[in-house]
Amino acid sequence: MSRIIVITSGKGGVGKTTCTANLGMALAQRGRQVVLVDADFGLRNLDLLLGLENRIVYTAVEVIAGECRLEQALVRDKREPRVTLLPAAQNRTKDAINSEQMAQLIEKLAAGGYDYIIIDCPAGIETGFKNAIAAAEEAAIVTTPEIAAVRDADRVVGLLEASNIKKINLIVNRLKPAMVEANDMMSVQDVQEILAIPLMGVIPDDECVIVSTNKGEPVVLSANSSLPKAAFANIAGRLEGEKVDFLELKEPNEGFLARIKRLFWK
Amino acid sequence: MAMNNERDAEKQLIVKNAEQESETAASSLSMETKESAENLEDKGEAENAVASGEAATISASKSPSAPESGEKLPESSEKVQGKTTGDRHLQVRLKAAGDHLLLMLPPETEFGGTWNELWQQLQLRLQGGVKFWQPQSQVHLMARERLLDGRQLQAIAEALSQVQLQLKRVETSRRQTAVAAATSGYSVEQISPDRHLQQAPEAEPLAEPLYLETTVRSGVEIRHPGSVVILGDINPGGAVICQGDILVWGRLRGVAHAGVGGNSDCVIMALQMEPTQLRIANYLARAPQEPPAQYYPEVAYATTEGIRIARASDFTKKPTDEQRRKES
Repeated sequence: MSRIIVITSGKGGVGKTTCTANLGMALAQRGRQVVLVDADFGLRNLDLLLGLENRIVYTAVEVIAGECRLEQALVRDKREPRVTLLPAAQNRTKDAINSEQMAQLIEKLAAGGYDYIIIDCPAGIETGFKNAIAAAEEAAIVTTPEIAAVRDADRVVGLLEASNIKKINLIVNRLKPAMVEANDMMSVQDVQEILAIPLMGVIPDDECVIVSTNKGEPVVLSANSSLPKAAFANIAGRLEGEKVDFLELKEPNEGFLARIKRLFWK
Repeated sequence: MAMNNERDAEKQLIVKNAEQESETAASSLSMETKESAENLEDKGEAENAVASGEAATISASKSPSAPESGEKLPESSEKVQGKTTGDRHLQVRLKAAGDHLLLMLPPETEFGGTWNELWQQLQLRLQGGVKFWQPQSQVHLMARERLLDGRQLQAIAEALSQVQLQLKRVETSRRQTAVAAATSGYSVEQISPDRHLQQAPEAEPLAEPLYLETTVRSGVEIRHPGSVVILGDINPGGAVICQGDILVWGRLRGVAHAGVGGNSDCVIMALQMEPTQLRIANYLARAPQEPPAQYYPEVAYATTEGIRIARASDFTKKPTDEQRRKES
């Protein structure tokens, strides 16, 4: 049975797509068969982050319209062959499909024997959101430690609950430990206090994520170890039911060498 | 349900008012009475303008550590002349009636109440109230004027069965709904759409308290023509608006409006009071800018000078009625 997880946030720009790409890769590195579904019709990005843009021939819309077979639209990642992408159409809008069609599509995918189907949800709570969550069984809420992002995440949790998605986990993205320490940023506890859902991972803010995004190579695949990479690997472990301690995200003032050393000790 | 008929009667009025509302929002202070049953919350925008206009002075004059962090914010008193809660904001209601439950659906209006909204409300109500009925209780659906097709009826029945309730009977004044219900195998009672039958008495007693075990999240608005008890938090962006008291066994960080319709004897209680805004009848208050060092259960009540907040332990000792009599 595939686990069908939607990655959503409400607010845009908090890192849904980055999380989808990296989480998918991290799960694949653990030996799982993963298919990533881009549900952001009209504003697709997932293919860029994965560096698969130039290999897309057909998209989900063509599959739904019956213009091609599902297998023809799937793009397999060359670096990590256990990851497959089902791209969204860029030349259409969110209204191009409805929830039933999306649910059927996911159902078809689920019959393909994947361990995980991860759906990258568009920002907002309109049609695109409804389509993306239509077939999902669980959800991961991505939020940054900002009031606006948390408020929107709270709204989304409510909507997910009303749609009978009960298993909802939290990923806090782009945390700056130094700012939290100085009381200039919401802490993970503050976020959790409001959202009241189980925490699945905390990803520190790191420039290497931006670099990897621009290169089309998820941080999880990069050769260098980094905190975000470790964080994603941990999230994948927790998704699988393992008990993994949370990374100690301390003041990164201690310098680069010390940071590397600390990673080493872990 | 009292408002169904009023609604229709006032349909034209409301449409007119909707046009006016944008103007009233701008010139809120000069706002005079509105002719309809519209009241406070229908003018949310206008009200906010008042609040932010005066808020600065208020929070400056207040010591945050004082147990009474109430603020006087006398609203333009003409404002609340409406009879009851906004009739366009009727929500899904579940009510015990002897051995079965009544599920009452609001009618669809041009201001909302679409199937999607109704569906979300229903899910939240059912999930928040699971332990307040016996498993396998029967439910009578009071659809009234609402049009429901077979698929929607089935969706409702499924949602009910998930919390171990059984849809047995459908009451409707619409033929299509009756046919759909009969086809799906529910017993049907077709009531006459005659308005007079639905005419509620002028002063309707408050509904039984609504008891919800849930977090009221951002974007969720609970409305109820009675008192509301929430076992959980009211998050920022969430709101509870009712005609009776509000009890929050948790943190209150959103908006709470008790005593809608003008009953200023209503109170708002919370284990942790950090509201965005408190409203009792036609009074309005904001929480202090500085959060207190320590939280304890508090009660907000209305006095002639505005809303006051007292420690729950002190409040019960206070002869509030006497106090009120002295003040008036």
